Amino acid sequence: MTLFHFGNCFSLAYFPYFITYKCSGLSEYNAFWRCVQAGATYLFVQLCKMLFLATFFPTWEGGAGVYDFVGEFMKATVDLADLLGLHLVMSRNAGKGEYKIMVAAMGWATAELIMSRCIPLWVGARGIEFDWKYIQMSFDSNISLVHYIAMAAVVWMFTRYDLPKSFRLPVTILLGLCVYKGFLMELFVHVFLLGSWTALLVKAVLTGAISLCSLFLFVTLVHSN
Amino acid sequence: MFEEASEVLENMLKWSLPLSLVLFLVLVCPLRAEAAHEFSVYRMQQYDLQGQTYGSRNAILNTEARTVEAEVLSRRCVMMRLADFSYEKYQKALQQSAGAVVIILPQNMSTMPQDIVQQFMELEPELLATETIVPVYFALEDEELLSIYTQTQISSSSQGSSSAAEGTSLLLHTATANGFQMVTSGAQSKAVSDWAITSLEGRLSGAGGEDLPTIVLVAHYDSFGVAPWLSYGADSNGSGVAILLELARLFSRLYSYKRTHAGYNLLFFLSGGGKFNYQGTKRWLEDNLDHTDSSLLQDNVAFVLCLDTLGNSDNLYLHVSKPPKEGSPQHVLLKELETVVTHQHPDLKFSMVHKKINLADDTLAWEHERFGIRRLPAFTLSHLESHRSPARHSIMDMRPHVDLTKLRRNTKVIAETLARVIYNLTEKQVQEDQLASLVDWLTAQPRAAQLLDKDSSIVNTLEYYLNHYLKDVKRHLVRADKRDPEFVFYDQLKQTMNAYRVKPAIFDLLLAFCIAAYLGVLYLAIQNFGLLYSFLRRVTAPRVKQH
Repeated sequence: MTLFHFGNCFSLAYFPYFITYKCSGLSEYNAFWRCVQAGATYLFVQLCKMLFLATFFPTWEGGAGVYDFVGEFMKATVDLADLLGLHLVMSRNAGKGEYKIMVAAMGWATAELIMSRCIPLWVGARGIEFDWKYIQMSFDSNISLVHYIAMAAVVWMFTRYDLPKSFRLPVTILLGLCVYKGFLMELFVHVFLLGSWTALLVKAVLTGAISLCSLFLFVTLVHSN
Repeated sequence: MFEEASEVLENMLKWSLPLSLVLFLVLVCPLRAEAAHEFSVYRMQQYDLQGQTYGSRNAILNTEARTVEAEVLSRRCVMMRLADFSYEKYQKALQQSAGAVVIILPQNMSTMPQDIVQQFMELEPELLATETIVPVYFALEDEELLSIYTQTQISSSSQGSSSAAEGTSLLLHTATANGFQMVTSGAQSKAVSDWAITSLEGRLSGAGGEDLPTIVLVAHYDSFGVAPWLSYGADSNGSGVAILLELARLFSRLYSYKRTHAGYNLLFFLSGGGKFNYQGTKRWLEDNLDHTDSSLLQDNVAFVLCLDTLGNSDNLYLHVSKPPKEGSPQHVLLKELETVVTHQHPDLKFSMVHKKINLADDTLAWEHERFGIRRLPAFTLSHLESHRSPARHSIMDMRPHVDLTKLRRNTKVIAETLARVIYNLTEKQVQEDQLASLVDWLTAQPRAAQLLDKDSSIVNTLEYYLNHYLKDVKRHLVRADKRDPEFVFYDQLKQTMNAYRVKPAIFDLLLAFCIAAYLGVLYLAIQNFGLLYSFLRRVTAPRVKQH
């Protein structure tokens, strides 16, 4: 409810990104500008998605309480464009698999942090009125970082030519989960009527599970040669 | 190098789950997400009368909320409910130099027990008499305001109690409890310059040439209470205005037929600023008697009858400043009144009250005294025995205070008496629904003199109504003298107050500490991500060997 609170939320949101950037060794590779390029690609992809959604999807006229499952499902499908964007970024960067994944994920997640979280925090957390949702927003950005790293890893694995046949199915399932995670979360909240903190917890658990599975597959793939 | 990143991820995953659980338990989660609550607040009166200042001088506030049970009240906004209100608590808040006082009134006043209402009515003049720097506001209670009040009360009363055993829980509670910041939206109050109080006059001319005697009927239409926006003034003087308008209608009907056109001029006067020492009447008399050449008031005036608070009770008092002499028109009125009451309304108790005009007092008692000072014979008719009765200056005076059957009965008495004085024909019926709609309309909005300028809808409607039945309806304005003003009004009487939910400063520090701890653990986790990575490698290695 003051500048201090804004500082709290901002540091909670931003520091993990900073820590990840420093400790993952990306700074040694002069990867800063590549991350910025990845961020620019994020902006471009979001713009295309918005135009597509605005043009082709009608507004929902069903009423307040009913949740439009099919409509939201279709809208989530458009998020496949995110995967294409990540793939584009990774294919333009030369280097080891881990380097590509980390650069793409860091740039993407940082762009999302700046675009979608900075302004609500600035406007809202500085006001007189106190609300828990700003802390929740900052936690959510942490979870998003993990989510994007996992998503980049899965996309990278999907496009490898030397992916064993047995891995195709798990990788595809993980890819689908990544894309529809937002839709699944809204579904849970709507059906089980979760409170805001519980929803955050469920989101963290889901992201943790996805990232653990993708890490497992990644390790297996990289060290099976 | 990238091993470190994987170690980081590994530790992140390992620690993030239990850590978020711990954080979840440590930080108390709110039950509801309430946004700021916005509500209208009405300020206590602020005015100067004849150089004497009254009421609360300040309007803006931006302070934290507390209730009376808290120990430290200075520079805080003290909230009180009407049910718990007492003058000692109010004085205590003022002495501790509170920042503001907000008194919460119930939406429906009739749910309050009579003794609390009566006690508050008696306290109102005392609240106004002490001139205070502290802004005092009144707000009407609704569910959110009540919940804000109970939460503030809990945190205020818990500040006092402390023991070693509950020390830590109290500390935690104090650090994370919700506080409320009260902010008003308006500006500081300043004097309104050039406020015009409007009065309305209209007349019915008598039949039969020049030099007819005149009867003047007067009622002041404004109301008074501790907060101008809450002064509905149902009985005082909504009832008087309703009776005067009904009489205007009746006599206009009678005067439109040649047979019933009597030999008296009837002058009807609705005065403004009545609660502020009858400013409207005073200026009107000065203009008519001193500054114009000919006016009905200068010639033959039979008597002036002022109507003040006639909407209830079974008593009727005729207040005079000089007992009427035998044979004068005033005496005729008195006799007719007594006759009508004893023969037609035996449940009504009528008596005359004689009170000399005391010019040394700050304010005049009744409206007829203004006429008496100018040597015009005048009475005031009222169901109150004393002009000091709290019912004349209270915000509790709302629609339920007016008993319509009694109002109708009083109107009938007055109409009959006047008819008997003017001519010996029977009266026309007083219509109850007419009275009802008039009283309903009058009490639907506050009529404090500060709120009714010359363009207000109430004055316009009154003028329109009088125009309907009377001729020569004129407006008469009173503006306070520039150099030595008899009255000065102040603005900022109605504001919007916002209650913002805030957390104490310690909460920010606590949160910063928790976030720093979380970030520290995260840093360690990321540094050691390689552990997870090598663990997974070891798990997958045997499988590869088997291929």
